[in-house]
Amino acid sequence: MQAPARDTGWGPMQVHFEAARLAAAAFEAAGIAVQLHEPNLPVFAEEGESKRLAKKAKDGGEREWRGDSFLKLADRGQLLAAMRILRDDLGYEQVIDVTGVDYDAEDANLWGVYCLLSLRHKARLTVKVDVPKDDCWLDSIVSLYSAANWHERESSEFFGIVYRGHPDPRHVLLPDDWVGFPLRKDYEFPDEYHGISCN
Amino acid sequence: MGVLSNKFEDNVLTSRVDWLLNWARLSSIWPMTFGLACCAIEMMAVGAARFDIDRFGAGAFRATPRQADLMIVAGTVNFKMGERVKRLYDQMPSPKYVIAMGACATGGGPYFKYGYTVMKGVDRIIPVDVYVAGCPPRPEALLEGLMLLQEKIRRQKVLRTTKRPERLPAAPSIA
Amino acid sequence: MATTSEETSARNADGVREFEIDVRTQDVELNMGPQHPATHGVLRVLLRADGEILTGGQCHLGYLHRCAEKIGESVDYIQYLPYTDRYDYLAAMNNNLGYSLAVEKLLGVEVPVRGQYLRTIIAELNRIASHLVAVGTYGLDVGAFTPFFYALREREMILDLFEKICGARLTYSYIRPGGVMNDAPAGWLEGVDEFCDWMDSKWKEHWNLLIESKIFIERTAKVGVVTAEQAIDWGCTGPMLRGSGVDWDLRRDQPYLVYDRLDYQVIVGVGHRGTVGDCFDRTYVRMFEIVESVKMIRQCLAAIQDGEVCHPDVGLLLRPAPGEAYVGIENPRGELGHYIVSDGSKIAKRVRVRAPSFCNLAVIEDILPGCMLADAAAIIGATDIVIGETDR
Repeated sequence: MQAPARDTGWGPMQVHFEAARLAAAAFEAAGIAVQLHEPNLPVFAEEGESKRLAKKAKDGGEREWRGDSFLKLADRGQLLAAMRILRDDLGYEQVIDVTGVDYDAEDANLWGVYCLLSLRHKARLTVKVDVPKDDCWLDSIVSLYSAANWHERESSEFFGIVYRGHPDPRHVLLPDDWVGFPLRKDYEFPDEYHGISCN
Repeated sequence: MGVLSNKFEDNVLTSRVDWLLNWARLSSIWPMTFGLACCAIEMMAVGAARFDIDRFGAGAFRATPRQADLMIVAGTVNFKMGERVKRLYDQMPSPKYVIAMGACATGGGPYFKYGYTVMKGVDRIIPVDVYVAGCPPRPEALLEGLMLLQEKIRRQKVLRTTKRPERLPAAPSIA
Repeated sequence: MATTSEETSARNADGVREFEIDVRTQDVELNMGPQHPATHGVLRVLLRADGEILTGGQCHLGYLHRCAEKIGESVDYIQYLPYTDRYDYLAAMNNNLGYSLAVEKLLGVEVPVRGQYLRTIIAELNRIASHLVAVGTYGLDVGAFTPFFYALREREMILDLFEKICGARLTYSYIRPGGVMNDAPAGWLEGVDEFCDWMDSKWKEHWNLLIESKIFIERTAKVGVVTAEQAIDWGCTGPMLRGSGVDWDLRRDQPYLVYDRLDYQVIVGVGHRGTVGDCFDRTYVRMFEIVESVKMIRQCLAAIQDGEVCHPDVGLLLRPAPGEAYVGIENPRGELGHYIVSDGSKIAKRVRVRAPSFCNLAVIEDILPGCMLADAAAIIGATDIVIGETDR
């Protein structure tokens, strides 16, 4: 797929597509099962185009996944090995973001999302992995990237993902005695905290 | 004023002394340097050259609650911070005043509905004298809040008793 | 009671010291914040000190957690825009910009050229304002009171310009998905030009008043050194990364808006007064970025043409196509990322905010041990955190 030749103002995208393809090939060579998603680029809106698009999306006519490309690991047990390849062989020096997504309350899985940045190749890569809600753990990547430390603590308190091997698994933003995982879709807002009403 | 406070009836002498004490208090309100969120930036602007809170005698920002008369709660208070706000308020010596600056400190502001950790108004833990509206309030609004507080202090009774005179009928009870 | 080394040590017949009765010391735990003027808000740092030397530092955040991400998946796309103002309240325009770019990427909307130029001018003006506050309050942290007033004098001029264009002083919501709210009023661009002249003439004043002052150099040079490896490993971005000598700027390396058409330099710390990566270098980067921003604004003013400022199709109710987009932009503090997941409805499924202050702050736990106690304020100040953003 070609990135748009037009001037979008969102930054380059072709290099990220290339990066995802390269990473997928490297994973395949190392025997890590991975699925490469290359979503359609956003369609450029001519006059009136985006409204039509939006309407179609609303009616359920157009349902393909848009936006950035990403890699999805099939087995979460291979996360550390995959990250090691990304850091050591492919030159992703920085982990920009570690987070989770609860797409729907009905879904059985959360997503663990890792956004990586390579300063030397000027490329970004998003790696995703499914985390079952009833057996919610991932391996901590703090041993590879120190930057993941606080991000993992945050995503652990917000989604209830247990990062195995994390050196300091305390809450980072919420009070220590907070109950529940606020960014889960089925989270119920508390009525009171330490005797102070929340409403 | 310790043992003397609110012990005397209204007369020329006590009202003049009260006037003097109130004038002294309202002319040198020392706020505590206590910025919480966005409003703190506007509080900084109030302290800087253009708006200049010093014109109202309230420019001596103190870093410790022990030396402060006024707590400007400038920003969102959440439960984790609320505990600390209460403790800081308790550490301030009387007479002490509180200005709730901005929508968040007044009543949760934009975080009212979905802010699960946000306290819906700082008046749930400490008494507030003046509420300043805005998100964030303009520096002029904070200055107006300060002037309102000064008016409030001007009407305080220090030596004079706050009891009603006996000849007035008691307020009807809501039974 | 003073003890000499002779009394506390015992020597054997050969004069070799056998054992030493050490002076008993105990680590002191010192609580800095959440109400502390040098933590730039409500950060709490638990310092552990052995005498004057720090042996550890632990940050406790969350005193300003305002649930921005939960709100992002509860209100619709345009309603969320005012909340973006409030996480980094010193650079609200840049936050608007990052969020708008991410939504536009999902919408497939291209902003008209005049809108892009206006956005660039506004973003750079806000960067100047933010760096001025950063440098001014950093002066407060290390003991210089006056530069703060000078910095806020210039900042008020920028706020006047913002007020003219959108009516607000601090929380703007001016840059929005599709473009900007409205065109610049008559005479506004000339006002920006005048401000550029003013800033150019006054920059040297700031430099001489604070940065070249001997006390400032003593307090910051060779203090809190972050090596390039450390900065990369801990995910630092922005002036924290460039101050450590890493040549990386999203405006140049992954250009968005019209930055690829402008001519400017990426400022990298060179160890001007100490070693590369010390607190002085971070301030040095911020100061020179002000100059570069003025340069960029001048070029934008020369190139801007008449035209539309907002895409005509983008209304108030947005329904981006299902998908996900990550857009990172260069905030004054570093890379501000928005990761938005949409399912095609009017409310996002996930709005993740990757806050630069959050990551820049993490590294100080690594560099505090071994520093002097009095330098803790200088180190925390040089990271230029905004608590609204670390806690969101």
